[in-house]
Amino acid sequence: MSVNGSALRKRRRDDELKLGALALVIVAAGHVLLALSESPAFPPDLWAFLGGILALFVIAHLAVRRLAPRADPTLLPLAALLLGIGYITISRLDAAAGAADRVGPTQALWAAVGVVAFVATLVLLPTVRALARYRYSFLMLGVIALLLPLVPGLGREINGALLWVRIGPLTVQPGEAAKVLLVVFFAAYLVDKRELLSSGSRRIGRVYLPDPKHLGPLLLPWGASILIMVQQKDLGSSLLFFVAFLAMLYMATGRYGYVVIGMGLFATAAIVAYKTFGHVQSRIDIWINPWQDLQDTGYQLTQSLFAFGSGGFAGTGLGLGRPDVIPVATTDFIFAAIGEELGLLGTIAVLIGFMLLVGSAFRISLQAQRPFLKLFGAGLATILGMQTFVIIGGVTRVIPLTGVTLPFVSYGGSSLVANFVILALLLRISDESAAEAEDDAATEEARRAIESAHA
Amino acid sequence: MTDELLTVLKFCFLALLYLFLFRVVRVVMLELKADKIALPLAALPVTEAPVSQPKRSRGARDESTLVIVAPESREGETFLLDQEITVGRAPGCGIVLADDTFASQVHARIYRQGGKTYVEDLGSTNGTLLNGERISGYVRVRRGDRVQFGQTIAELTR
Repeated sequence: MSVNGSALRKRRRDDELKLGALALVIVAAGHVLLALSESPAFPPDLWAFLGGILALFVIAHLAVRRLAPRADPTLLPLAALLLGIGYITISRLDAAAGAADRVGPTQALWAAVGVVAFVATLVLLPTVRALARYRYSFLMLGVIALLLPLVPGLGREINGALLWVRIGPLTVQPGEAAKVLLVVFFAAYLVDKRELLSSGSRRIGRVYLPDPKHLGPLLLPWGASILIMVQQKDLGSSLLFFVAFLAMLYMATGRYGYVVIGMGLFATAAIVAYKTFGHVQSRIDIWINPWQDLQDTGYQLTQSLFAFGSGGFAGTGLGLGRPDVIPVATTDFIFAAIGEELGLLGTIAVLIGFMLLVGSAFRISLQAQRPFLKLFGAGLATILGMQTFVIIGGVTRVIPLTGVTLPFVSYGGSSLVANFVILALLLRISDESAAEAEDDAATEEARRAIESAHA
Repeated sequence: MTDELLTVLKFCFLALLYLFLFRVVRVVMLELKADKIALPLAALPVTEAPVSQPKRSRGARDESTLVIVAPESREGETFLLDQEITVGRAPGCGIVLADDTFASQVHARIYRQGGKTYVEDLGSTNGTLLNGERISGYVRVRRGDRVQFGQTIAELTR
């Protein structure tokens, strides 16, 4: 191992530790600030809280240090900060909620489960490229996970969407797992077929199209997203799946044609859905004019907009606003709750945090040399970025509101665990690429040594 | 607790948030700069290095195995790579591909150096492929990689 390799490891891990420590300080400060808004004393659970967040971060950090030492240093601290801000907001909303509706302790528990999943992913998966071999198994598991809520007796409908599966006392969202599983399949499949898909063999008019048999599996996400939209009434996930796969298809082939065709297919499906299904129609109508039915269908969105408005530039301060009047503020509308208490400054900070997180994910993808790692990383980055856009765009009335979670910030166990797995996979890709770059540098050195000896 | 004090603390909290983001951006800039340095690093000339004496630091593991995965008729055949081994249709080769009409007489060689495995194409007609991409000269083979000679595909397992 070269000297440069160990210097890189040390620099990256030390940077991660420093940034993580700062993130923990911020989260702890937020926790104290929230308590001070109620009474002029430090929160009684301060030490337990500090111990908890410190333990979670240190476990994750040590796991990366040991299992993926060359991985990118920014992802883990950014995730820690977003999770922390989310948790503070959730516990703030808890304070206003009835005892039965408190979700903060559950979220803390899920964060711990998420860290366990994060470490387990790093332990069980020494190389990400091994995943490519089981592509069709992942496809099957992904489709099963998507369809699971439709099984009678197993699925549970919450807030009008049929996305949950009941296992004992837990309700989980298998769609969150399906996201990751299907991205693995698509990355592996597109790497195999990208040449066939980017050079057409059949001519129709002036355009060359690839052999239809290669296109079959690509129509699958379109079918799946329509199915989710119609059967499970979940527009957000539907949009998320479709855009992620379209983006991956474009990244694999470099052909605009697919983007145009894909947009066309989605637009057609969306128009048909608008005409056919009441729940789609009402979403669009609320988006166009949320004020026409202020007390009923437009209530959520208008309360969200009021929250941003009353937050103003710097917010009311933690614990000093009324974000609890927004319905489902801990999940879909958590960004509005942040907007009310931390204002424009706070929401922009959260947005920058997400930009840096998604940007780092794309940078990891660019640094990877193997096509599968590149495409897989880019697919995961797209999922994270798109999901953030869909929900933040929804609550700020940029696009029609579709309920998905804000990664790491929103309350929700399945989503949190899935995002921790995505984080571990990205770090694994980053470490794997850096290791191969080190190896290649060493090979090049050896080759030069041999050549100069022959000369 | 006075409102003024809470407002001051709120701005301190927001300032901390931006300080964190600023520091992340600085690390990202450093990463991007390091990337640029890393590229020419591989091309740096090496003045003196031992030639025929491979590093024995991983001495105990200095062997690996090649398993044929295609065609089906030869699937599972295993070759231990403890020394240099040639691949081709000629009877004298270490791995004889007599039935593979797409392979050349002496197609390629596989050897170990410094605990690592390399494959070198020996000017074959149809070329040697590593994970589906044609190689030129010699390249490193890693565990799990697939090497193709003619229509025969083998995987490095250890």
